[in-house]
Amino acid sequence: MLNLLLIPLGAAALLTAALATTDDETAVDVSKRHERPPHDVQLIIHEGTRLLAADADDGHDEEDDYAPALFARLSAEFPNRFTEDDEGIFRDAWPETRDGAIVWDDENECYWEVVTADRLTRGRQDYVQFCASCHALEGDGFGRSGVALRPPPRDFSQGLFKFTKVNSEKLPDDAALLALVKGGLLGTPMNEWDISDERLAEIITYVKSLSLPGDEDADGSTGWRDPYNQIAGVIDASDDPWTDDPGGAIEQGEGLYHKYQCYTCHPAYADAARTDALRGVEGSGTYPDDHTYPKLRKDSSYTVLDYNVAILPPDFTWHDMRRGNTVAEIYQTIAGGVAGAGMPTWKGAAPDEELWAIAYYVYDLAETYKGNDAQRAAFMRSIR
Amino acid sequence: MTLSHSHSVRSFLGPVRAVIATVIAAASLAPGALAQDATRWGPKESASSFGWRFDDLFMLIVILTGVSFLIMMVMLLVPVFRDKARAGHKASFDHGRSLHDKRFTAIVSVIVFIVLDAWVLVVAMRDLDEGFWNVPGPGEAPNAVRVQVLAQQWAWNFRQPGVDNKFGTPDDILTLNELVVPASAEAEGNEDWFAGRPVVLNLSSKDVIHSLFLPEMRVKRDANPGAINRMWFTPIRPGDYAILCAELCGFAHYQMHGKLRVLSPADFDAWEAEASAMALAAYDENDAGAQWAWDWQE
Ligand code: HEC
Ligand code: HEC
Ligand SMILES: [Cu+2]
Repeated sequence: MLNLLLIPLGAAALLTAALATTDDETAVDVSKRHERPPHDVQLIIHEGTRLLAADADDGHDEEDDYAPALFARLSAEFPNRFTEDDEGIFRDAWPETRDGAIVWDDENECYWEVVTADRLTRGRQDYVQFCASCHALEGDGFGRSGVALRPPPRDFSQGLFKFTKVNSEKLPDDAALLALVKGGLLGTPMNEWDISDERLAEIITYVKSLSLPGDEDADGSTGWRDPYNQIAGVIDASDDPWTDDPGGAIEQGEGLYHKYQCYTCHPAYADAARTDALRGVEGSGTYPDDHTYPKLRKDSSYTVLDYNVAILPPDFTWHDMRRGNTVAEIYQTIAGGVAGAGMPTWKGAAPDEELWAIAYYVYDLAETYKGNDAQRAAFMRSIR
Repeated sequence: MTLSHSHSVRSFLGPVRAVIATVIAAASLAPGALAQDATRWGPKESASSFGWRFDDLFMLIVILTGVSFLIMMVMLLVPVFRDKARAGHKASFDHGRSLHDKRFTAIVSVIVFIVLDAWVLVVAMRDLDEGFWNVPGPGEAPNAVRVQVLAQQWAWNFRQPGVDNKFGTPDDILTLNELVVPASAEAEGNEDWFAGRPVVLNLSSKDVIHSLFLPEMRVKRDANPGAINRMWFTPIRPGDYAILCAELCGFAHYQMHGKLRVLSPADFDAWEAEASAMALAAYDENDAGAQWAWDWQE
């Protein structure tokens, strides 16, 4: 019977010999920084830290204050944990050494969250496992798998975020980041991360701890170590004013999209004459050649090897929107803006009802034309 | 049940009853299996010019092994019934050590080797030689659609040369997890292996080993870091097909899939022109770190 056994072995040997004739070996060029060898990977963090939990009641618009929302949520979870003193400052009953304690900082007038070394270590270890191939062991975005990737994996020391659906002038809260990482970013390798909420929360804490030390004079945001930053939650999208009249919203949205000149970055979806009509101006003259194309933004705040990476505003009939699956999500992105990419925060700059109408219009553009090549080609021919 | 009872176990599982039980079990499961959507059990229909060869080889192996399985079963069952103990007949036992038995075993082995292994090997080598390994060389397929594939944890980066048909130029079409190619209906059943527009791929990887698997095209090849592997196929029917990673490559390996869009030739030309124009709009000549095209490997 032994010979029967030998047959598959012989065949396997033959096949292996045949397969061993591989093609030419040619190395793919990669920039040096991505090639840092993973020596001495630090997996244990010995020191805890403090991260910004909420800004003080700064007397601005009350609606914008994050502290009341934070303490309402925490108090619901742990009744009797907080006491409010005469000055309206919340005092935590938990000792300052306990993980998750909220500490008031008198000097900087802000609240810090206590993060223990244990929590950071757990977050770090999961981060190394799941996120480091792109965002790098150091968190600076130079992972092996991030070579030549555009958009580049985020450098977390920047404390800048694009699609959290939070007012882009502020830092996203944990819930916003959790939803972002769980949802992924369509059209990038940033996947829908299917990790339990508790572990993801620890990863996010670790990611937040990568922000640079705060500095009052710093250019732009420096993340959760900067007491002068503000935190906000996801923009509320519960009161859609157009539920009864989506058709009307789309029609008005088309006008507003061109009136607010979204086409200075994104494409215009109308020829010159119609753009004028939609804007309500007469014979403004000519528009540039790339009127109906997206225009590359070269002034982004996202840098790779000291180069400010250019970012293309999407053509909604062609490109994927990162997080624009519903009208409400698109409304939130338009209202919040895209930090560091040049896309402004529109909330406050235009009435909510108009922003919703634009969102309906953008959603309809993607619904109608994206992936329907023939229909899109006919439409583009009609405006180019 | 203790060892002392083992003889009753053995008698319960006596060969005849065991066979009957197996047949009943198989018969009761079969209708359920057959009632399922048939496509769930086999691969999806082939949609490439030489994919049918893979299917034929698969069928050949199923038939050869199926038939030899039946023959083996008959050879096992006949003695079980014929030689069992019964009134006036004592069960006979035989260790098969006689010269006659050894010769019989040798003959069966040779037949199995020639009919099964050698046959399958010859067909497989012919198919590989004419199909899978026969990547069009320089000038052999001037119409070929060329694609550079750069795998990474956990996505497929595709680069097509665009309307100028040169790699590493501003109009290169870059797509992520989506590859768009034209169908070549004329390649179906054509004597000319490279009829129509074969799709020729250069595969490499940034980090670990991945494997580009296009099940409906019946092709699969590893993408190795530091090397460039080649692969080719000619799609014959427009449609959306699967792109998978067939090499366990880390935590999110299961998310490393994409869509192969096969368009009619006219649709493809229109798509290529528009995608090239879009690529020009997105191209930033100063961003040295974003360029990753390599010299095309024939
Ligand atoms: C396969 C590569 C890859 C992996 C792995 C990866 N990311 Fe990302 N990530 C990206 C890319 C690329 C971007 C930038 C997207 C953009 O700018 O449009 C990004 C952006 C982000 C952002 C910023 C999003 C925003 O709106 O600005 C966060 C937060 C983030 N990643 C967290 C994570 C976490 C947490 C993990 C691990 C669980 C992870 N990433 C794993 C590629 C990756
Ligand atoms: C100053 C340039 C600029 C202007 C003006 C601008 N945008 Fe954007 N927008 C961008 C850029 C850049 C991006 C892409 C960010 C990225 O992908 O990293 C973007 C992305 C978007 C997205 C996609 C969000 C997603 O999930 O991917 C939507 C929707 C959008 N913009 C809508 C609008 C609307 C509506 C207007 C006008 C009211 C507008 N933008 C005006 C630059 C701009
Ligand atoms: Cu893979």
